[in-house]
Amino acid sequence: MKEAEDKCQQELAALKKEFEEFVYIVSHDIKSPMRAISNITTWIEEDLGTVENQEVLANLSLLKNRVNRMENMMNGLLELSRVDRVELEFYEVNISKMMANSIALFETNSNVEFTLNTTLINENCVTLGAKLQKVILSVLDNAVRFHDKENRKVGVEVVETESDYEIKVSDNGPGIPEQVASKIFSIFYTVNSKDVVDTTGAGLAISCKIMKLVGGKIKYTAGINNGSIFTLIWPKIIILKN
Amino acid sequence: MNQKLVNILLVEDDEVDVMNVKRAFSKNNIMNTLFVAGNGVEALEMLENHIIPLPKIIILDINMPKMNGIEFLKIMRENEKLKNISVFVMTTSNEDSDKINAYNLNVAGYILKPLSFEKFLTSVATLKNFWQLCEL
Repeated sequence: MKEAEDKCQQELAALKKEFEEFVYIVSHDIKSPMRAISNITTWIEEDLGTVENQEVLANLSLLKNRVNRMENMMNGLLELSRVDRVELEFYEVNISKMMANSIALFETNSNVEFTLNTTLINENCVTLGAKLQKVILSVLDNAVRFHDKENRKVGVEVVETESDYEIKVSDNGPGIPEQVASKIFSIFYTVNSKDVVDTTGAGLAISCKIMKLVGGKIKYTAGINNGSIFTLIWPKIIILKN
Repeated sequence: MNQKLVNILLVEDDEVDVMNVKRAFSKNNIMNTLFVAGNGVEALEMLENHIIPLPKIIILDINMPKMNGIEFLKIMRENEKLKNISVFVMTTSNEDSDKINAYNLNVAGYILKPLSFEKFLTSVATLKNFWQLCEL
């Protein structure tokens, strides 16, 4: 019995190693030709000098945009695969400050009106800070990026319960059509074509994986007057396996 | 001031990346002589057998066939004649382990190869300022 278990562990370790090597190869060997395509496109542009044909210029620009998108997708994929292996440090986080600072990052670049409400017993919490930050930024980014109204509002509410922090991010944006709501946590899934809003579609997939890692939850519900509500249940006590 | 331009050795296996560096040099008016080696073995051969004049600066890729950048650095740092050359690592590798390995071997800089040529130009322009200090 013990022997079988050892063998299983060995196989698991070998598989993990193989996977890590795979990720490494993807990150380096595929990026080189991607960079070559991007660079050579720029050189062709330069060498052409003044071009009268607008179509040629538009196509070159499309080519660069798509290589760029490919790089972002590759980085998203790498990040997703590394969720449970990097940035696993526990440190003390001031929840209110983290929220306010995260909101501040978006306030400067968007004409969105933010509101923040916190009901906390203890402002500080020792947790996987980098992971929490990542999920918050990703959900805020979603609320801001896909917004299509004149009068943009995003509300953030944090409530501390006995076991968790419940973080609710709601917006008055377009919301997510009911029939696709189940797909939004899949990697690279975007509600609209990536040409409408240039996005990778990796943020929510990464967030979902982080929430699984910490033993929390992320869920989407439709807002009352359209809009989206993302609710994060972030546990106060996190136990990492291995 | 009569400046003498230092020689630079680029150790890089990817043909487009070599073109990239050459193009960035000419765009930034960097006139230094650039020698190119396709991997660590080739670079060592060039340096040890005096095939090229000893460069003051080496730009080094990490992922290369035959002998990778880190292996090359290790050997170089143990060689009395070569150990004082300034090395700039230039790579796609954003792995912490590669960065730590490189810095442990005393590198002057770690440049991540960006996707866009425009960004690379900016990095090279910054390097140019440093190299001019080496030439004084």
